[in-house]
Amino acid sequence: MEELGTYAEKTWCPGCGNFGILSAFKKAVIKLEEKGISRDKIIIASGIGCHGKMFDYLNLSGFYSLHGRDMATIQGIKIANPKLKVVTFSGDGNCMGEGLAHTLFAAKRNADITILMHNNGVYALTTGQFTPLSEKGWKGPSTPKGSIEEPFNPLSLLLEAGATFLARAFPAKADHFIDLIVQAVEHEGFSFIEILQPAVAYRNTWEFYKNNTEILKDEPKTYVEAMKVAKRRDKLPIGVIYRKAKPVYHKELYGNFNPTLESLSREKRLEKIKDLLSVK
Amino acid sequence: MVNDAFTFLVGGKAGEGAKKTGSVAAQFFTSKGLHVFQYVDYMSLIRGGHNFSVVSTSNRWISNHYMKANLIVNLDKRSYDTHKNHLAENGIMVYNSDVEGDMEGVGVPLTSVAKNYPKPRLMLGVGGVSILAAAIGFTKEKMNVIIGREYPSGKEENISYATKIYDIVYPEIGNKFQLKEGDKLRPIISGNQAISLGAIAAGLDVYFGYPMTPASSILHFMAAQSDNYGLTVIHPENEIAVINMAIGSTFAGAKTMVGSSGGGFALMEEGFSLAGMAEAPILCALSMRSGPATGVPTYTEQGDLNFALNAGHGEFLRIVASPSTIEEAYYLTAEMLELVWRFQTPGIILTEKHLSESEMTVDINLDKTSWAEPKMHSGGEFKRYFNTEDGISPLLFPPSKEVIKWTSYEHDELGITTENADAINLMHNKRAKKNKAIIEYLKTKNTINIFGEKGPLIFTYGSTTMSVLEALKCGDIEARVIQPRFLSPFPVWELDGYKKESVISIELSKAGQFSNLLKDKTGIVSETLLNRYDGRPFDPIELSDQIKEVL
Repeated sequence: MEELGTYAEKTWCPGCGNFGILSAFKKAVIKLEEKGISRDKIIIASGIGCHGKMFDYLNLSGFYSLHGRDMATIQGIKIANPKLKVVTFSGDGNCMGEGLAHTLFAAKRNADITILMHNNGVYALTTGQFTPLSEKGWKGPSTPKGSIEEPFNPLSLLLEAGATFLARAFPAKADHFIDLIVQAVEHEGFSFIEILQPAVAYRNTWEFYKNNTEILKDEPKTYVEAMKVAKRRDKLPIGVIYRKAKPVYHKELYGNFNPTLESLSREKRLEKIKDLLSVK
Repeated sequence: MVNDAFTFLVGGKAGEGAKKTGSVAAQFFTSKGLHVFQYVDYMSLIRGGHNFSVVSTSNRWISNHYMKANLIVNLDKRSYDTHKNHLAENGIMVYNSDVEGDMEGVGVPLTSVAKNYPKPRLMLGVGGVSILAAAIGFTKEKMNVIIGREYPSGKEENISYATKIYDIVYPEIGNKFQLKEGDKLRPIISGNQAISLGAIAAGLDVYFGYPMTPASSILHFMAAQSDNYGLTVIHPENEIAVINMAIGSTFAGAKTMVGSSGGGFALMEEGFSLAGMAEAPILCALSMRSGPATGVPTYTEQGDLNFALNAGHGEFLRIVASPSTIEEAYYLTAEMLELVWRFQTPGIILTEKHLSESEMTVDINLDKTSWAEPKMHSGGEFKRYFNTEDGISPLLFPPSKEVIKWTSYEHDELGITTENADAINLMHNKRAKKNKAIIEYLKTKNTINIFGEKGPLIFTYGSTTMSVLEALKCGDIEARVIQPRFLSPFPVWELDGYKKESVISIELSKAGQFSNLLKDKTGIVSETLLNRYDGRPFDPIELSDQIKEVL
């Protein structure tokens, strides 16, 4: 597993929730390989933020995208070569703020991608501003008197938008989390995991999540049940909250075609253009 | 003045089919082997307003329409009022005699005859076609073959209506204009079709676009042709998604292109800069309309030149080229796709509404089409940003046992983020080597067009070149015209010999962006700037008068 790491210096705060996510993802890659998905086909991406450093720490191919644009980047990769499995690490500000339109539309079109959203409820790398998921009243440098906005609920929002695999995970429950990553990557369609990630320098939520999360015993069977579970606030359920089989975007678009591998030769293209330009 | 062209103008409300009538008129002329230029003037609305189409034709190469028309067909009163001063000497003005108002010329009951059919309003344009057919002495049989092909929906009714109108007008205007026969049957295509075909021919796999006039018809043409060429065509949520998806697709090895006009391209700038850093080969078709902001959506301008040259934050190689004609748009788009892949950097094919949406007969030699083929990694250890002599790192596409990392951060050769001063220098220098490499490469290519051998010197670019060439022709002016095909890098090496000459610059920009660029890059100062910025392209006759005035 060592070779899944790189020489890049780790610059997360000691105790950061991202370490658990990194280690879980590496283990998930090994499990996926055991299931026949080789690592050369697992393409990673990330946005910009503390979560994004995952990209440098993983010895896997991929694209370190712009802030909020990684959801678009991986859809482009998937469309060009549908044989690839694409996964992006996306912070909550990245995924639900700057990149919200891309996230929602990816769910709407059931793009065959996986978003692992590191939800730490804060813009940590830019020193602690409130995010679209921070609770009302969060005091950061841009909201010194406390944020006056209610947060989004990412799971109910994406359920409404058309997501076909939704889960919540807490990295302290490592095996449970690893299994969720494997399922999300294997899922054919839009899969999304909200990862409850403590950011020790700004919000040390380790104890809170330990006391307030519980593993879902029964996976919701219907959209309505899923919506109820997604909206629960007494305890934060972790596990698969919604799963549905639905045709994926690229197959609806071009069936089993592969734009990159089956690209038309120069001769064929010119022949067709010649035909188009011939005067009838 | 030598005007050896015949011009047909048809105008009416949006929805009455004037645009389509223009296209069918063009078919009449091309079927005689003539050269054709068709201009469409329409408002940003779906119904009502005033739309018109101008089709100029000749038995020699013709590169712009003429606003003075030999035959004008007005489907409504507003058209008549707009165009009553556009009639050429000995021309014929036709008006719809069923509409109220004081009009002179040949009255034709277009509306009342149409009322005998199920969709009368949509038929008026067909009437315009038959008036033209009668006036140029087309037989009814020949006319009806073309009408049947061009108006397949309600074919029988259209043919019947066209025949009636033909019989009504023939006694008065039949065979009034005898057009010469041309030398060769040629296809007629729009500028956006030429751009699309050039990209497809050079290897395009995926096209991303969000609708914006005048670039939308690239998206539409690509979508319509997707099955034929194995193209994947996607219209995502916005232009930011457009360019980021496109960059993702290039990472996987697909040849991609995006397209928009100024406002949409403004949204793509962030991604354009990403392409500079990640060294993603992205081609953008940027079709200019009147700006700034929403501007005048369906009219032409060349106000985004500086914007294109400086697109995206940060320092990186941007390739910008602008075609003079619809034919050149085909070749140059293919060349640009080849160039962005050769140099792994973003590029812009810069054009205008006047080229995008006009149609012109073309003679394309397909064998001369470029083909995009990147330098590939040939085995051994792979580093995405390997620092080579010319700055171009060989490519490898996933899946691969080698790790392939593209990134928006400054990075080392492997693609891992760096903040190290030496590493930053190394990568800046590596990317900058491509600036030199491309100049050496372009020195072996055709980067400027020179028209004419003697006489005063005119500089222009883009589709304004077509207007200038047509103005020289009709004004019988002997001049030399230089049109840089490439605007970045600017082909200064071709222009050393012209520094001491007195120069006229012609462009569609209030600020004279092109003449300023010429001066900045080469020291060539334009003594005269002939510019227009009212959304309309130059009319050849007016422009030739302006040129004569300054000579």
